[in-house]
Amino acid sequence: MDNVALEWRQVVKKRDRMTLGPIDLKLHENLVTALIGRNGSGKSTLMKLAVQLIHPDSGEVAWFGQTYSAESLPVDVRAQISYVPENFIVEEDGLKMDEVAEFRASWYPKWDWQRYEELIHRFDIPSGKKLNKLSKGQRRKFEIAAALAIRPKLLLLDEPSSGLDPFAWKTMMNEIRRCVDEDGTTVLLSTHIVEEVRRMADYLVLIDKGHSLGMVEKDFLLERGREIWITRDDELLGEMPAVVESAIESQGMVRFITMDYPGAAALLEEAGVKPIQVRALELDEMMEHWMNGAVLEAH
Amino acid sequence: MRIPVQINESSAEPLYHQIETQLRSLIVTGQIVEGTLLPSIREFSADLKCSVITIRRVYQDLENEGLLRTRQGTGTFVTKVDTDDREAYKKQIVLDAVRELVDTAKSVGYTVDELRQVIDETLSKE
Repeated sequence: MDNVALEWRQVVKKRDRMTLGPIDLKLHENLVTALIGRNGSGKSTLMKLAVQLIHPDSGEVAWFGQTYSAESLPVDVRAQISYVPENFIVEEDGLKMDEVAEFRASWYPKWDWQRYEELIHRFDIPSGKKLNKLSKGQRRKFEIAAALAIRPKLLLLDEPSSGLDPFAWKTMMNEIRRCVDEDGTTVLLSTHIVEEVRRMADYLVLIDKGHSLGMVEKDFLLERGREIWITRDDELLGEMPAVVESAIESQGMVRFITMDYPGAAALLEEAGVKPIQVRALELDEMMEHWMNGAVLEAH
Repeated sequence: MRIPVQINESSAEPLYHQIETQLRSLIVTGQIVEGTLLPSIREFSADLKCSVITIRRVYQDLENEGLLRTRQGTGTFVTKVDTDDREAYKKQIVLDAVRELVDTAKSVGYTVDELRQVIDETLSKE
């Protein structure tokens, strides 16, 4: 599992409104990494660098351990990578779906027609239409089907769920999962949808203002954040680790949020205090605290 | 196959440990029988909405205990559990539950006698 499929090394890229980097990031093979962060934080830039739509100002990108700094990606390497951008290429607008599929099939040696037909059917996309005659959601479904049909080793999805109905969304997640399971694909997806992260991701990377705030295992994050109510004890509260919020809720009761539940639970146990209530923070609450600077020690 | 495992989010126990304990219990008590093919790591993690890293660890641990076996290309199977293990395990489950009961009674200030009385009353209603 410790093979690295994609790596950004000290990458810097200046864009109109922000500068990405210097950024160091590694995607481990056969895992799903979710890229989260506010709009304009640099998530799409990071992905475009991974398919050489843009090149870094400094630093380098490595694909399956290889760098191709001065040259473009060899065709056989590029053919193993699928990228579904947030906005689609207008050049293909006037073409029919099947023509686009034919064209891509000629570029990608592992193109799987059976898989493609199956996905088109499963996503319920009307056949024979020109791409610009498809609705936004249908177009996205087509692009995802085509991205999976090449049986990629590396799959990059920039906000793949936007415009999808809930049924297509579920199908998409199942199909991506199948791809990871059957073909050992490595996935990077940028998303704002918490449920997508919950259901799909193994690792999370938080990008903020062009910088990475780190990479954490999703379950590590889920295990850390808790809201706890205890009988008021100011001394004990003062000792609690990683408290990001606390309030006296009534005369004898205090409520606090900790980002280190294992640590807090150990202290409570030591003090012989049984919490009145413990609530697990939702992933979006955790992400918010993380974004606001809550320190998550590496594990 | 959907495995009846429930994650308790208010527990301080790490996720992998919760899943491992419940899966072990299902196997040792014979609710999941010998030879059963378990879901793939990715499928199981999607069901529980946790990461594959967690499930991989669970399968690995139970494999080391001899409860599971992974065959290349086919998947992870449940192996044979011997009867002694089964009995020891049943006892452990009850012991853990009693421990929890004692802690709860303590936290509300019950004396040993009061606790004993409650247990007797409950047993007499069985």
